[in-house]
Amino acid sequence: MQLTNNETRRASIRRRAVLAAAATVLTSFAAFPTLGLAADSGRPLVVARDMDLNSLDPARAFCDTCQIYLSSVYDRLVDLSPDNKSIVPMLAKEWSASDDSTVITFKLDPNAKFSDGSQVEAKDVKWTLERLKNIKGGIAYILDNVQSIETPDEATVVVTLTAPNSEFVGSLTAPYAGIINSDVVAEQGGNAGADAATTDTAEQWLLANSAGAGPFVLESYSPSQELRLKRNENYWGKKPAVAEFIFLQSKDAVSQTQLLESGSADIAMQVDPTTAKNITNEDIIVETQPSPNMVYIALSPGAKNLAHPLDAKVREAIASAIDYDGIIDLTVDGKAIRLPAPIPVGFPGGGVGEPIKYDVEKAKALMAEAGAADGFKLDATFPNVNQYGVDYTLMMQKIQQDLAEINIELELAPVEFSVWREKVNGDGIPMTAVFFAPDYYGSSQYAQYFAMMDGTVWYKRAGGAADPALANPETPKMLADALAAPSDKSAELFEKLAAVMANDHIILPILSPEAVFAFRKGISGLRFSACCNMVLADIKAE
Amino acid sequence: MTQYLFRRLISIPLLLLGVATVAFFLSHFTQADPLSALVSERQMNNPEVVAAAKQRWGLDRSLPEQYLIYIQNLVSGDMGVSFRTRRPVLTDIAERLPATLELVIFAMLFGTISGVALGVLASRFQNRLLDYFARLVALFGSTVPVFWSGLLLLYLFTVKFSWIPGPGRLDPRADPPPFMTGLLTIDSLAAGQFDTFLNALHHLVLPSFVLGWSVTGIIARLVRASMLDALGQDYILAARAKGAGEARTLFRHALPNAMIPTLTIIGYSFAYLITGAVLTEAVFGWPGIGSYAVDSARTLDYPAIIGVSLIGASAFLLANLITDIAYAYANPRIRLE
Repeated sequence: MQLTNNETRRASIRRRAVLAAAATVLTSFAAFPTLGLAADSGRPLVVARDMDLNSLDPARAFCDTCQIYLSSVYDRLVDLSPDNKSIVPMLAKEWSASDDSTVITFKLDPNAKFSDGSQVEAKDVKWTLERLKNIKGGIAYILDNVQSIETPDEATVVVTLTAPNSEFVGSLTAPYAGIINSDVVAEQGGNAGADAATTDTAEQWLLANSAGAGPFVLESYSPSQELRLKRNENYWGKKPAVAEFIFLQSKDAVSQTQLLESGSADIAMQVDPTTAKNITNEDIIVETQPSPNMVYIALSPGAKNLAHPLDAKVREAIASAIDYDGIIDLTVDGKAIRLPAPIPVGFPGGGVGEPIKYDVEKAKALMAEAGAADGFKLDATFPNVNQYGVDYTLMMQKIQQDLAEINIELELAPVEFSVWREKVNGDGIPMTAVFFAPDYYGSSQYAQYFAMMDGTVWYKRAGGAADPALANPETPKMLADALAAPSDKSAELFEKLAAVMANDHIILPILSPEAVFAFRKGISGLRFSACCNMVLADIKAE
Repeated sequence: MTQYLFRRLISIPLLLLGVATVAFFLSHFTQADPLSALVSERQMNNPEVVAAAKQRWGLDRSLPEQYLIYIQNLVSGDMGVSFRTRRPVLTDIAERLPATLELVIFAMLFGTISGVALGVLASRFQNRLLDYFARLVALFGSTVPVFWSGLLLLYLFTVKFSWIPGPGRLDPRADPPPFMTGLLTIDSLAAGQFDTFLNALHHLVLPSFVLGWSVTGIIARLVRASMLDALGQDYILAARAKGAGEARTLFRHALPNAMIPTLTIIGYSFAYLITGAVLTEAVFGWPGIGSYAVDSARTLDYPAIIGVSLIGASAFLLANLITDIAYAYANPRIRLE
């Protein structure tokens, strides 16, 4: 068959068109990499992060990323200074407490303004705190003992408590206590009344807008994709150096490292020490800072179907048989410290004394005393997560090996977090692993969460309802005394309380990891805050 | 044909109702805590807080009641509000589905073109070096797991050589185009943002290659087998006897007939990739419907789980319908009645 001249010409044109198109695409790809490189001065800073945001509403949010977002957008009455233990003024320029620490009076800074330029007034503080309490969200517990909030004038807020609480002011450093522009949010369905839990409808609006007095405002939010914050040009305090932050969803340390190395991101703070060690790019700096976060093991004597009772001797045996330093080396390459009790170093009463020693012989003797020398099987269901750089499966495998030395056969069951929650709050889990990060600077939150006394989370999970003997009758009084005492005395009392919690051997702190910051050269001011995680307003970029 | 189409279209809502029902009850029977995204651990101890959360999210009602309310809302186009993102599920899906569609379209384009080309070459050079090469490529495509090839290629082309940008659909600093279709390549071209178009295209290269490679394998093997069958038919002998050249014989006579069974696979693969792009989306940080489904399942986000199930089922039903119609057009002997 022969082609005509026209057909030949058409075929030739087609071939040329295809080649031209291919050349265009290839050329554009070859030229492209320059677009993905590091941030130039003035460009937005990109933070690669596994965003665990569950809400952008201060009254409903509870997560690590929420702390960063809320503290950047909503200024609180008080702040935590960079030393991570001093309370400093923020919207409240000063405050005072009655002698018995039950009446606290805040005086608002007259310069404080919301992002829309309106004045921050006492009514906004009252409305915000009452909404926080009545919505009954994640942090509402800090206001449990608030009896009333009065506003004698536009610049004064008087909070009356039902019992002395020397940590109340500190608890207001929590980002969730960020003050909201009440006029704006009330118009969008916000409600601070007693029925706010069911009648407040402002959350949808707060997912797309912000109404705070912080250094940044919300620009846009796509869940599990991207969060954009831009500088609040009306900010009443010192203006932040960076004009825009983009939080980019990135699931794990490896993806975050790839984003950093490819220049698509500037900062990552969930890169574990082991992955960080493999970063060879000279433009990337890796720094670690102490953090109050904690990874711990919990034992539940009240869990169903125990092969052997988890009595005090068995619990102490388990605590003594764990090679804590080995775990720290294995999971976070040594970048962590041990804690003597479930209160972090730097918090009142925390980090004092010696952590329990790894002593297999002592553990064996304790097992024999408990009549369990031959050992038993123990269910260890735990959330299958990598939190604060610790791979939980790896950690639990190491503990499984350790406990095999004292004939305890650990049956590991890694599960999704929602499955774990169902089980730990239901039948109970004999031995589990989990994590804790503080909501604010103060030790009472630890006692109220971990101590063996009525009303705490772990007292219930450990089986306190069925076995009240687990409770230490002195603990509630010790906590009340610590909260009623002046701060220097309070630390001493919290120290005693920490020792009691440690001796229960229900909560076994495994490690307190260092926070890892991986970032591109030219960025400075990164710091880990005990209340707010990463403080965006302090970050600078060349 | 019209009657057939009418019957099929009528059956779709009924099938979707069935899918919604199964997804609803399966997710509610899972032993997990749906409040994990709604109530903090500390507040789980507070019965007042737990009761308030259950009331707000309708979890205080009996299961049949919850089901009836859900179906009632679904009929009026309301898929509920996600526990995890706190936004309407429909909004979440509308935001994420275009990302998956764009990825799947590019993957299918790559998979189909390369699969057909390899299949034709393999059949033309049966049992010769090119055939073995094509079969090897096809074998790797259909057997190498996406998480392995994805991570390897990402390491090589992104980290090692910096030829391809990192995870995601667009460089975070790039100027996103105004929303039209949600497909960044189309929206950026429509807005005249050529830089953004190239940026989006560049981000698509690796994930669509990795995802499309699995389709390449399947299509190449099918086309090869169908082409070998077609090339042995009398009409090919007749075409050659009439003096048809090799290219004309292959592409005008053999390939159209060999493509008929391939159409089914293309249609099925499209629907399969929409629901099965989970791993690719995870490896490449692609904010599509697959990663949304995984995150929703992990937190037992009932409304989102059911919403995604409905989207997946719709994709399969529509792909099947379009395939059947295309089949009838491609092969006049098939009549849809």
